[in-house]
Amino acid sequence: MTAIRDWKIFKDNLMTQNPVFVQVLGICSTLAVTNVLKNTLVMCLGLIFVTTLSNLSLSLLRAWIPSRIRMMVEVLIIASLVIIVDICLKAYYPDISRQLGPYVGLIITNCIIMGRAEAVALTSPPRTALIDGISSGIGYSYVLLLIACCRELLGTGGIWGVRLLGQSWINWSIMVMAPGGFFVLAVFIWIVKGWIMRPVTGKAGA
Amino acid sequence: MHKVLLSLVPILLGSVYLFGLRTLALLAVVCITGCLVEYGAMRLINGSKAKVSEAALVSCFLFTLTLPPATPYWVAVLGIAFGLFFGKGVFGGFGKNIFNPALVGRCFVYISFPSYLTVRWTEPFSSFPGGLIRYDGGVDAIASATPMILAKSDAWSGGYLPLLFGNIAGSLGETSAILILLAAIYLIATKTASWKIITATAGSFLTLNAILYFSGVIAPDPLFSLMSGGFLFAVVFMATDPVSAPVLDQAKIAYGILIGLVAVIIRQYSLFTEGIMFAILIANAFGPLLERQIRQWTQRKKVAA
Repeated sequence: MTAIRDWKIFKDNLMTQNPVFVQVLGICSTLAVTNVLKNTLVMCLGLIFVTTLSNLSLSLLRAWIPSRIRMMVEVLIIASLVIIVDICLKAYYPDISRQLGPYVGLIITNCIIMGRAEAVALTSPPRTALIDGISSGIGYSYVLLLIACCRELLGTGGIWGVRLLGQSWINWSIMVMAPGGFFVLAVFIWIVKGWIMRPVTGKAGA
Repeated sequence: MHKVLLSLVPILLGSVYLFGLRTLALLAVVCITGCLVEYGAMRLINGSKAKVSEAALVSCFLFTLTLPPATPYWVAVLGIAFGLFFGKGVFGGFGKNIFNPALVGRCFVYISFPSYLTVRWTEPFSSFPGGLIRYDGGVDAIASATPMILAKSDAWSGGYLPLLFGNIAGSLGETSAILILLAAIYLIATKTASWKIITATAGSFLTLNAILYFSGVIAPDPLFSLMSGGFLFAVVFMATDPVSAPVLDQAKIAYGILIGLVAVIIRQYSLFTEGIMFAILIANAFGPLLERQIRQWTQRKKVAA
């Protein structure tokens, strides 16, 4: 029984409740780090790590957290996790850390993490919270990775630094700049909501 | 919309004369792409009742005339497709767009492919049959700078006459001030374009330019600034676009003033040589706000009286 419920949570967070294209959360990092696939992947791994562990630990601690200061406790836990990610990056991948700049630190303010903590972690048992955290992170990540693929391919003619489109390809500079992020994200949301999710929302309406 | 197309014909002929028959080929490619994209977008919105409005054709003409003569065809195709789809289609088609579709398209290619839109200019033909019998200027004519680029480094020595007649390097339709002024007179006389927008824009542009020039901040004098670059073309044809410009009189004037000021500021204080394109897009974004605010003020006045 619980396995079925867990699976449903997992699936919902990937599609019908996706944090990026349904709840439209965490858009700042979606626009900022998706110009190069490598950076996006690092960012996504960091985010999955933080959401998962923050959800788990908040859920374990939920009986002892007074509700008046719960926000402070949440931020404290999330911030410690983000600092761990940041320090690891600085130690092992200094180049990527430099390119990502402030965005790793800004995972703290990512709306998805706070949202999951408030909505799920404080009210659910650790198991549910853990699954919810992982699936939210993955739901966020795959969207970002797809967007990053589009942007890097059009903006630099290759993916992961490998040139795919041949020498005659002219880079679309706009794709590696912020406006490119807006356009690709908008088109992505449009395609998903207009074509893929239409049957789902249609059924809910009827 | 007929009248706008009609007023563009002399400018089009002028640019064929100056830059060769490639202009017409470019125009044809842009128009075909534009109509296909517009039809596709309208299919998504209206289903089988899709129609291509004449405004799409106007956008195609205007877009083509803002491109440098040597623009590759694929750049033009991408630009007009982007402009009509994202500048117009996604807002719901004709009459619902806040931004001028031709400028959205140009802005997209301008930022995406700066190597084609900012540095590869073509010298115009100078002898009589000119471009009327030739395809384009060839490789020799590539890589000269426009008067505006030259003026930035104080190297322009041609005076005003070439700016007036248009035998200078520049985008297809923007070079000849006299043809644009003729079109402007025709459009104002037939009440197609709003003279309020044109005069407010040109007035604020000249005023700020004059202030900066006479206080010694900038080098090009106001008359040169007015006639060089794409300012005249953009003001007459883009700023007055009846869909993306405001409707109320006071809003039109405020909108024009905003365009003029932003154009000067971008020209003088940014990396871009020409600012009128961004100025109009920025003013487009503020258009509805200006209009709402002015409507509120007038209503409040009526209530007080």
